[in-house]
Amino acid sequence: MRLRFFPRSLLGQMLLAVAAALLVAQAFSAALLYRASEQRRQIGVANGLAFQLVSEPRFDYREAGPNLPPPSHTPSPTPPAEGRKPPIPVPPEAREEQERPRRWQRLRVEHTLISPLRPGETRDTNRENLLREILAGQGIEPAELVVTNRAVSDDPYVKQRLRDTEKWRGRPDWVDRGLIVAGLLRKGEKEWTVARVPHPAPEPGAVGGIIAQTMIIYVMLVGGLALLLRRITRPLAALTRRMEQFARTRETDGQLEPAGPEDTRRLIEAHNEMEGRIAALLDEKDVMLGAIGHDLKTPLAALRVRIESVEDPVERDRMARTIEDITRTLDDILSLARVGRPSDRPENTDLAALTASVVEEFEDMGEDVAFGEGARLPALIRATWLRRALRNLVANALRYGGGKARVSLRREGDMAVLRVDDDGPGIPDHELGAMLEPFRRGEASRSRETGGAGLGLTLARAIAEQHGGSLRIANRHHADGTVAGLTAEIRVSIG
Amino acid sequence: MTSENAAPTRILLVDDEPALREPLAEYLIRQGFAVTQAASAAEARTVLLNQTPDLALLDIMMPGEDGLSLCRHLTEAKELPVILLTAKGEAMDRIIGLEIGADDYVVKPFEPRELVARIRSVLRRAVRSGPAPQEDALYEFEGWQLDPVKRRLTDPQGVVIPISSAEFRLLVAFLDHPRQVMDRDRLLDMVQGREAHLFDRAVDNQVSRLRRKIEDEAREPRLIQTVRGGGYVLATDVRRSLPGAGA
Repeated sequence: MRLRFFPRSLLGQMLLAVAAALLVAQAFSAALLYRASEQRRQIGVANGLAFQLVSEPRFDYREAGPNLPPPSHTPSPTPPAEGRKPPIPVPPEAREEQERPRRWQRLRVEHTLISPLRPGETRDTNRENLLREILAGQGIEPAELVVTNRAVSDDPYVKQRLRDTEKWRGRPDWVDRGLIVAGLLRKGEKEWTVARVPHPAPEPGAVGGIIAQTMIIYVMLVGGLALLLRRITRPLAALTRRMEQFARTRETDGQLEPAGPEDTRRLIEAHNEMEGRIAALLDEKDVMLGAIGHDLKTPLAALRVRIESVEDPVERDRMARTIEDITRTLDDILSLARVGRPSDRPENTDLAALTASVVEEFEDMGEDVAFGEGARLPALIRATWLRRALRNLVANALRYGGGKARVSLRREGDMAVLRVDDDGPGIPDHELGAMLEPFRRGEASRSRETGGAGLGLTLARAIAEQHGGSLRIANRHHADGTVAGLTAEIRVSIG
Repeated sequence: MTSENAAPTRILLVDDEPALREPLAEYLIRQGFAVTQAASAAEARTVLLNQTPDLALLDIMMPGEDGLSLCRHLTEAKELPVILLTAKGEAMDRIIGLEIGADDYVVKPFEPRELVARIRSVLRRAVRSGPAPQEDALYEFEGWQLDPVKRRLTDPQGVVIPISSAEFRLLVAFLDHPRQVMDRDRLLDMVQGREAHLFDRAVDNQVSRLRRKIEDEAREPRLIQTVRGGGYVLATDVRRSLPGAGA
């Protein structure tokens, strides 16, 4: 399974890795930051509640009686209404002064005789614990403490207060967020003190900040890294192109100048040196092969002339055949060494006519080779080479395959398939692969008598590969499993 | 051909390798030729100052001035028929050799009898046609093209159609005599000469092979038609043009 957008290049993979690592790190710190701010908010809320509960005056300053709860419009089941006294008249300016703290006080703090926790409401134990700690710090040991969350619409006390204030203050923004309600029953008291705090608004900057920070780091780090990596990968890409070119042409012209960081420079220098050595070795090989060709063929030619003076025609023919064998082997060796660097350019050539002309050569030598002539099949090939490959396959079929060969040519997609069948004993399956190696001959033909150095198939394969194709050899079987013969197929790419 | 009886054909044999040169010279002398040996191009040039051979056999790879360079000198300045002896048998060598004017080439190690056959064939052509300035001109017929130097036949679409050397010579025989009825003996005479096995090959067989390659429908030949009473005719016109002049 391959991910489609997974980058293949060093640059891409490196950037992806850095980006991913950065994302994880930023996610962690975002989470930590969020937790810290959340904790701060909770403590803030608890402190707010504690402050209200603790600092709530024990008496309503407008009330006379010392131990009476402040007046309340709470619709609690037992409103402490009976203890109420007519308000003390105050001058208008003082009245204005008193109005504000009273409103503030009344919105938040309520005194009831029963627990503010109503049926169906759950206790917010986290906040209770937090609040209890804070109260303990103030030396207050609550007889009972409840904290719960409640929507504004479910709280008649707040609703009532809102109705009073909404007219001239407008609707406060915390209404939609709901309330946190805390009730404290002090030891030895019968009345609960109930404080209310709206749910704190989420801190808006927290997440946005971390995203902006991540973005900036991304641009700086990934951008900088991209620039740095390009300094490494550009010479590498150039080196890759150079190597491909060298593999194709084997020319040392156009070598790269060392560039990039020290490591890349040294790589390029080492590569240039290696190229030089390879080119020198190849040149040496060519010179050597040329020399072998020339130095061996001239004495062979001399020998061939000399045997003409042998009186016995049978002996003379035998000698001539031996010389031909040596010559063929020599040609195969020289060709095999040259096939990698073909000197002639490929031409658009009719494979049907080429196959026919190879088959006709064998016919002219009195061999039994069949070829069902087919339609034209032009392909971009090097005719001299392909002819040689086909000739080798047919010669093998005739030599080891019972003296008969059938040749066929067909097209498969953008490949042309040249097939040679014989009716011989085939090759044991475990030897098939080894048959394509140089100097290999089948078990049955180890004796010198059959001739050939065993380069035929190697050369045929090299030529097929030179034409963008392949060589395949396989046994054909009868229905009963016995070997019907050997099939050799050369595939070459058309065009 | 009375000259063969009157005076033996003189051959200049140039090869730097005495192991080949000497037995080959002996063999050719036994075959009735008069042979002068030269071990290098320089020596060959000295020989040429005093005598004019009928034909030169040149080794391509020699130290000093090589065979190709000497070949150019011989064919251009002396108009001497040349057969190249090459160790490589590469198509490139053959084409270069033939392009600079060599009349034929043999690949080492060659069959001595084949070499003699080729010497005779080259001499026969030299006597019959003299120096042929049109020798390397392309043949063109019905959109087909035949390059006689490279032995390269291309169809109207420009696809190379590989042909054997026997088919090549047969086709050249037809192309040299378009719209003329050629009987089998005449064709055999024109085609034979280089490969020994062709002597007993039926001309009909070669014609049918050639037809398979150049006719649209080999059973109903249009280009090479059979003439009742024995013979064939190339039923089309042939144009010749110098390579590179057309296109």
